[in-house]
Amino acid sequence: MSALGGPKPAGGSTGIAPVPALVSLVIFVIIFAVMYMFGGSLGMTALIGIVIGGLLIGFGVHFVPVGGAPAAMGQAPGIATGVAMLAAGGGLAGLFGGAWAASQGTVVAVVTGAIGGGLMLAITCFFVNFIYIYGMGIPAASGKVKKDPITGDSQAEYKSQGTEGHGLPFVSFVGGVIGGILGGAGGTLIYLMLLNVYQTSLPGVMKATAAQVAPIAVSLAGMFAIGMFLVIAVLAAYNITGTIEGPHDPKFKRFPRALVASAVASALCGVAAILLVMV
Amino acid sequence: MVDIVFSIGITALAGALATVAGAAEDVESDIGSQGDPNSQVQLAPQMGYIHRIYNKAIAGEPPAWGLWIALGAGIAWAFMVMQLNPILAIVLGAGLATFVQGVYSTTAYLGRTASLSKFGQPVYIDIIKSMTTVTMAHAFVAIFATVTICYLMNAALGHPFPLPLLGLVWGIALGAAGSATGNPYYGKERQYQTQNFGAGVPISASGNIVRYAEAGERNSLDNGFFTAKLGGPASGVCFGLIVFLELWRTVLFENVGAGWGAIIVGVIIILIFTVMDRFIEVWARKNYGPYTKPTEETSS
Repeated sequence: MSALGGPKPAGGSTGIAPVPALVSLVIFVIIFAVMYMFGGSLGMTALIGIVIGGLLIGFGVHFVPVGGAPAAMGQAPGIATGVAMLAAGGGLAGLFGGAWAASQGTVVAVVTGAIGGGLMLAITCFFVNFIYIYGMGIPAASGKVKKDPITGDSQAEYKSQGTEGHGLPFVSFVGGVIGGILGGAGGTLIYLMLLNVYQTSLPGVMKATAAQVAPIAVSLAGMFAIGMFLVIAVLAAYNITGTIEGPHDPKFKRFPRALVASAVASALCGVAAILLVMV
Repeated sequence: MVDIVFSIGITALAGALATVAGAAEDVESDIGSQGDPNSQVQLAPQMGYIHRIYNKAIAGEPPAWGLWIALGAGIAWAFMVMQLNPILAIVLGAGLATFVQGVYSTTAYLGRTASLSKFGQPVYIDIIKSMTTVTMAHAFVAIFATVTICYLMNAALGHPFPLPLLGLVWGIALGAAGSATGNPYYGKERQYQTQNFGAGVPISASGNIVRYAEAGERNSLDNGFFTAKLGGPASGVCFGLIVFLELWRTVLFENVGAGWGAIIVGVIIILIFTVMDRFIEVWARKNYGPYTKPTEETSS
């Protein structure tokens, strides 16, 4: 039985329930059919890019080690803040860099966004360990694995009494950086796809030159990219339910469910953002 | 060459402002128990520990700061469109956003504390009067500094995002960096000062926060005084480095190798932080030692 009193979903806590997956698939197909009818090849290409961006964000959030309130008391490993908010902090910092590099081509911009997100979380994760070690005298220890999967360091004996662990073991640090990279890349990809659509369509819609609509196109694409990032990050956070240590945490195996939800949510948001200027 | 020197100067100024913003943000959050440690301030009366700690949390730090900075940036941008001097416009924008923060803080404290009346927790009017203004002062510093960074990015460095959008992006990043770095220091090291140093707070001790100071009952100004010594500056350096290094690698290397120069430098910086993190992790394991003898049992 679940906490709400209903039956346990088929496939266990990490599996994908067939009925919601089927409903998701139907919604997904309908969204793409609508886009094919009204958006043409420009809209379809953009929507595919947005869905890929959404998948990158949804997957990336699962890598970010988040300990929430228990981490703030040294009761659990991870970063002491919310899943969605931390992922958004890293991903949006990546989007900032990616948007800056938009004129240098899609590949360079997406990679720049990815590195921007990774950089933000690398610095943040370093300072988490810095404050634990030099401010509080507490070494990093995982509560979910016996040994760090990357370094092989034993963990159990470094957990202080009555806690689930604390700080960021090396695997969690690496997970944070990977999460930032994926989030930054996904956010930037969504931004670039929308920017392309708006720069192409807005001059006709507003009967203005490309130079005149450029600030509106950038602002609209930026706002929708940030909005979609938050939608997908919150969805992934619900999938994680509270805290996660990183890729070694058993909760990480739940990511396929989040990918299904992220694909549908990003397609739904994407179709609204694209058809805004195409219908 | 002149452009590069100018851009490096702007980058350095933005990094310095970000350091101030990060420190002010964390101290504001610690005085107001805005971050995750608010759970303990809220829990304490339910466990029978009545206290005089300020608790103004309703949203997490990142969305709250995203709101305030975007608000400050939006108002400043509106004033600039009306041809007002940018510095004056940013001051006015930050000032008005600070008043919103003050209203938010007051209603949050009243709402959260009133909900604890069944556990005997009083609403202290003197706490509202003395703490709210102090958090507003810190908030003004953080909002002004961050909106100025966003203005520099847009006007001087030519970032395409408009000012309010930059405010939202960097407000959320500010809250994320400040809460990640500063929360453990306030939550563990200050609220649970009576617990063992060098160990996490046992889950069984949850809610038993320190309520008495050297003289009389502890209040949140004491907490701000304490966290301003390490948690605040560390948060400031964290956010300062994020802003500085992100701008620095772009300004200096974006034209190298058709954009790949900035990417390679970014990867190198990430690797440097990874090595530093591993170094301090190993240092802590060697110097602090294990709490118990190694066992063969699985920990989970």
